[in-house]
Amino acid sequence: MIRVDSITIKEFRGIRDLTLDFKEKNFAICGPNGTGKSGVVDALEFALTGNVSRLSGEGRGDISLKQHGPHVDRRNDPDKARVTVKVTIPSLSKTVTVERRLKTPAVAHVTPSDAATLEVLKQVKSHPEFVLSRRELIRYVLATPGKRAEEVQALLHLDEVEQVRVGLQKIANSCEKKLVPLGTASMQARDTLLRALEVSEVTTAIVLAAANAQRAILDLPALTDLTESTSLKDGMATPPPAKPQRIPKAQALADIRAAREALAEIASVPSATLVAEVVADLNALTGDPAIAASVKQEAFYTTGIELIEDGACPFCDTRWDLDELRKHVQTKIDHLEDVSRKRIAAKTKIAPLIVALGKAQVAINTLVRYAALATPPVGCDSARDYSVNCGTAIERLTSLLPLAESISVLTNVPSVPPAVLDAIYELENVVAMLPDPTKQDAAREWLTVAQERLEVWREAMWKLNAAKQQAQTARQVSDIYATTSDAVLAGIYAAVEKDFAALYGFVNRDDEDKFQAKLIPSMGKLGFDVDFYGRGFFPPGAYHSEGHQDGMGLCLYLALMRYLQGDGFTFAVLDDVLMSVDAGHRREVCTLLKREFPKTQFIMTTHDPIWLRHMRTEGLTGGRSAVQFRNWSVDEGPTRWDERDV
Amino acid sequence: MTRSPIIEGTSDIPTQIFENFLLALGEASVPLELVARLRKALLEERTFTRRALTVAVLGEGSLS
Repeated sequence: MIRVDSITIKEFRGIRDLTLDFKEKNFAICGPNGTGKSGVVDALEFALTGNVSRLSGEGRGDISLKQHGPHVDRRNDPDKARVTVKVTIPSLSKTVTVERRLKTPAVAHVTPSDAATLEVLKQVKSHPEFVLSRRELIRYVLATPGKRAEEVQALLHLDEVEQVRVGLQKIANSCEKKLVPLGTASMQARDTLLRALEVSEVTTAIVLAAANAQRAILDLPALTDLTESTSLKDGMATPPPAKPQRIPKAQALADIRAAREALAEIASVPSATLVAEVVADLNALTGDPAIAASVKQEAFYTTGIELIEDGACPFCDTRWDLDELRKHVQTKIDHLEDVSRKRIAAKTKIAPLIVALGKAQVAINTLVRYAALATPPVGCDSARDYSVNCGTAIERLTSLLPLAESISVLTNVPSVPPAVLDAIYELENVVAMLPDPTKQDAAREWLTVAQERLEVWREAMWKLNAAKQQAQTARQVSDIYATTSDAVLAGIYAAVEKDFAALYGFVNRDDEDKFQAKLIPSMGKLGFDVDFYGRGFFPPGAYHSEGHQDGMGLCLYLALMRYLQGDGFTFAVLDDVLMSVDAGHRREVCTLLKREFPKTQFIMTTHDPIWLRHMRTEGLTGGRSAVQFRNWSVDEGPTRWDERDV
Repeated sequence: MTRSPIIEGTSDIPTQIFENFLLALGEASVPLELVARLRKALLEERTFTRRALTVAVLGEGSLS
């Protein structure tokens, strides 16, 4: 993407005024601790991204770029703090100047500024990982698999991939959840239709036979087919709109009988013994804190126990005695399974009550509509309230939580208020007093009610089928996404794993030339195991020395960057990343960088003058491609000692 | 050391994954308009919110 020609830093961090000429080549900055090396690294990051990762993010507390970015004596004058870099964009054969000021860190003053240049600089800004410090390096190597996956995903910009995966999965789950109430609604609509048709099953032949018997009374032609748009009352004269709607006597009496049966079912389904039994079960569970989250937790532990490998907890990576860990997790699973069993048992016992409550709710709602049609209307407020209570009880008993409310519902709902029964009795009397319709009127009423209920059932079935179709599609999309993204990621990790092993094996070819590594993606985690002298695969921190771990971190970073940016990997800042690596291996790192990354400009910091010499003798940096800071003062900033003065 | 094969830069892995996903959807019995909506959300508008994905998978009417 870019190479940096020079940097000018003014009143930024510990630096008052400093210009370094990198000349687009590898460059080394050497100096004891606290002489301003990292200030240069921060300045590079700031100029190219508008941010300094050391001053932002997790664990930075009250430290902020705007407040603490300027030199301490200029903290109230952030406009004076600025960094200017001159960069070359090889792909555009252009050299541009980028200046940023602490006062407005988000604004980059780019000269010359054209769309292509700005696009490249935008790309650079979106890859702040061009700066690698030991802190980041350790994140790749020693982090837990979950954290490592996060870091690597951030580096590879995979957060969007994960966001889509979670989103599609949630959509599929939510679609499947909607099927349950829609299924219940269609069953209830079917029951109501059966009652209107006075039949026991809904088939085309049975519905047509029942409807045609009534149509014959009205001299209407028989229906020969039952399609989605067939009307059972096709051809029947519509009553004038001014005429008040009549209560269909026979149907209303049948519905009143059905409502009584439904209410009786509520009282009979859960026998006193059964209610007492379920209440006792639920009371026992109220004392258990695991009840609220048992389903999720049980699934979590059950998955976790399958993932226990090499004696480490799959969640926090703490090493345990394998048997102890399994026993520990199994105890939790056993307990949660017990809680879950009790919940399922309670739900199974109360399932018939939920169905009965649903039936009663629908039946009462039908009667409430008849009551409104009566002259004068029959007072049905108690029945209406009871219907609402049934709905609430269904919701509570379906979720079963909070337990205290479920217990209260269980003990109160079965008793139907006498006012409800009184209202039904009154309605029944009013309906019974209605004059019997003529045979023709009864047939008209039959066809009207049957058609209404057929439409309700059709709509319920249509909604259910549409929801089933949606659920199936959403699950298919989610599954295809999971399979596709897993395959692409597996390919990426396989390529990175191979490149990483080759890079590390080269640096350590004196004794680890057969080195291999495994990057194992699994459910949002990224396992990282490395070969230890042919004795098996272990986490990097298990047997390898700190120096080897640093080498692994650098090689993994280089492999990831090469995969990510390919030929666009033209610039990287290595901030004191090899402090634990011995002299011999540092030489090999120099050879590796020179040989494998000839198109990449590395800016490297170190406090070790010997390492600086190695870079030069190994040809990684040229004669004048280094600066040495001798000391630093708050008033002057770093005092430099150019290599050429040596 | 055997030199590593030259790896082409994969500057945008999400795009690579989204393109493969859309290709796989096209080969499955998924409605073409759904694939088109997902293409728009993932590749053109690059919006990955639950709302945007719901509209893409289930259609505009799904939110009402």
